[in-house]
Amino acid sequence: MTVQKQQRTSGSRTETRRRGSPRGSKWTPYLFLAPAAVFILVFQVVPLVQEIFLSFTRTSLLNPTHSTWVGLDNFSHIFGDKDFRRTLLTTFIYVIVCVVGAVGSGLAVALLLNKGFRGRGWARALVTIPWAAPGIAVALIATWMLNPDYGIVNRFLDAVGLGVPGGAILDSPTYALPAILATTIWQLFPFTSVVLLSALQSVPSDLTEAATVDGAGRWWTFRAVTWQVIKPTIGLLAILMTIWSLRRFELIWLMTKGGPVGATETLVIDLYSQAFDSKQLGSAAAIGMVGVVVSLIVVAGSRFVARAAEREAR
Amino acid sequence: MRPLRIGLTLRILGVLVVLGVAVFPLYWMIVTALSSNSDLFAAKARLVPDFSHFGVFIDALAEGKALGWLRNSLVIAVGTTVLSIGLGIPLGYALSRFSFWGKAVVTVLLLFTQMLPEALMVVPLFSLFRRFGLLDSLGGLILVNSAFVLPIVALILKGAIDGIPRALEESARVDGARPLTVLTRINVPLIAPSIAATAVIAFFHAWNEYVFAVTFIFTPGKQPASVGIANFIGELGTPIQTVMAVAFMFTLPAVVFYLFAQRHVVAGMTAGAVKG
Repeated sequence: MTVQKQQRTSGSRTETRRRGSPRGSKWTPYLFLAPAAVFILVFQVVPLVQEIFLSFTRTSLLNPTHSTWVGLDNFSHIFGDKDFRRTLLTTFIYVIVCVVGAVGSGLAVALLLNKGFRGRGWARALVTIPWAAPGIAVALIATWMLNPDYGIVNRFLDAVGLGVPGGAILDSPTYALPAILATTIWQLFPFTSVVLLSALQSVPSDLTEAATVDGAGRWWTFRAVTWQVIKPTIGLLAILMTIWSLRRFELIWLMTKGGPVGATETLVIDLYSQAFDSKQLGSAAAIGMVGVVVSLIVVAGSRFVARAAEREAR
Repeated sequence: MRPLRIGLTLRILGVLVVLGVAVFPLYWMIVTALSSNSDLFAAKARLVPDFSHFGVFIDALAEGKALGWLRNSLVIAVGTTVLSIGLGIPLGYALSRFSFWGKAVVTVLLLFTQMLPEALMVVPLFSLFRRFGLLDSLGGLILVNSAFVLPIVALILKGAIDGIPRALEESARVDGARPLTVLTRINVPLIAPSIAATAVIAFFHAWNEYVFAVTFIFTPGKQPASVGIANFIGELGTPIQTVMAVAFMFTLPAVVFYLFAQRHVVAGMTAGAVKG
């Protein structure tokens, strides 16, 4: 057996110990990761490369093996298209409201659950339910609750005098997007609140107590102590919610299919109907690439901001 | 002590409102499933379930295709769980314990693939599946679902293995154990709670998956429950009580398992999704 001398200790570890290699040759790590790597290569990387290629071609769903190279035509075409610019705008509204709504309501619920009271464990568990429920079931029950004739939402709104005329919320260009947003945030807030709750519990209580003893008001204590501790978690959740919202498909597709007249059409919905209704694989791929690039910009940008903030703090 | 009382009352009120909002849609699913037609379409809605109609759950299973759907979902979910964890443990181990050329690339790839929407990947995967004869098979769905849940599974398990002191492995190695033996005998038992959490994530990722299932499966008898239930939306033939009964049976396992595993699952999701 070869005793490996891997002295390339990563970072600045003071401790001298043999880094890495729990014995075996230098090929050992590759043996461990090979099966998974092949898997990700075949089912993620290769299809992604194909999709990138498709975005530079004109290809029909009916004859997908025959592609005509068109360069950047798909991109110039979609950005010149008024409907696509509207889709972009809808996507941004959807993502921003989801992030703000899910993180904001999550924080409110976490603060509510942070103080000890009897039955808190139960409350915490029950709050998880919306997040645990499958998206399909959520879309189904939301559609039923919003049913124009018999849905409980309309019955309630009518009873308090706020009824939408005709009651067809999901068929209304004005109310469909808010309804989808409400459903999305309803499904997300348990996740953000449970994550923020565990962040809140790491806030040192002697610090908040000290602040209170010094005569600080509640708001001041929150801003000076609590907020500082949970800020990284808020940032992390905002990134996660952004990525998830840019990917979200079935909830919107099953509730409105992007309608009425494009009022709820996000990038993912647009790309799916381009591919399967209009049978244009090329422009569908181009739309999808726009979404992926937006995700990448958000993640890279947030890292950049986080680094800058770290440097400033020093 | 007065202000404290008021604060407490407000807090309890707030908690009750939040719980109501969180639970109501599922509650409404049950109420709808257990309603009679006259209740459903009456001018005034019935707000409590009528348990004398409990038979709707049994009828939905006995009469319809629902039992077959749920069985298909179960096959896909179990297969995805086993495969993604089987691939994820060695990958997580390699990332945690070894330094090797290409490690950074693999890590970035695992984070990046989580940004790819299923709806984007469905077209190239469709042609891939056609070439390999994987269309219209539950096995094909197991493969693709495993690939999509694998990054998060591997990153969670890597984090769990990071938490095990190396000293435990060293003593086994002194005794001459090979790397694979070290992994299966020392690490795997110690990260069992994390494996359980990833199992819940992988299982319900596949249980809930819709886009690939609806695109790749043509034979009605092979449809999983997600597709079957989605087809109910906007369809008028099936009584809404049956629809809600099936949807409830589809939802219940996910809710129950997440209730038990929520702490681990949530911790894993945040750690695995963004760190690195």
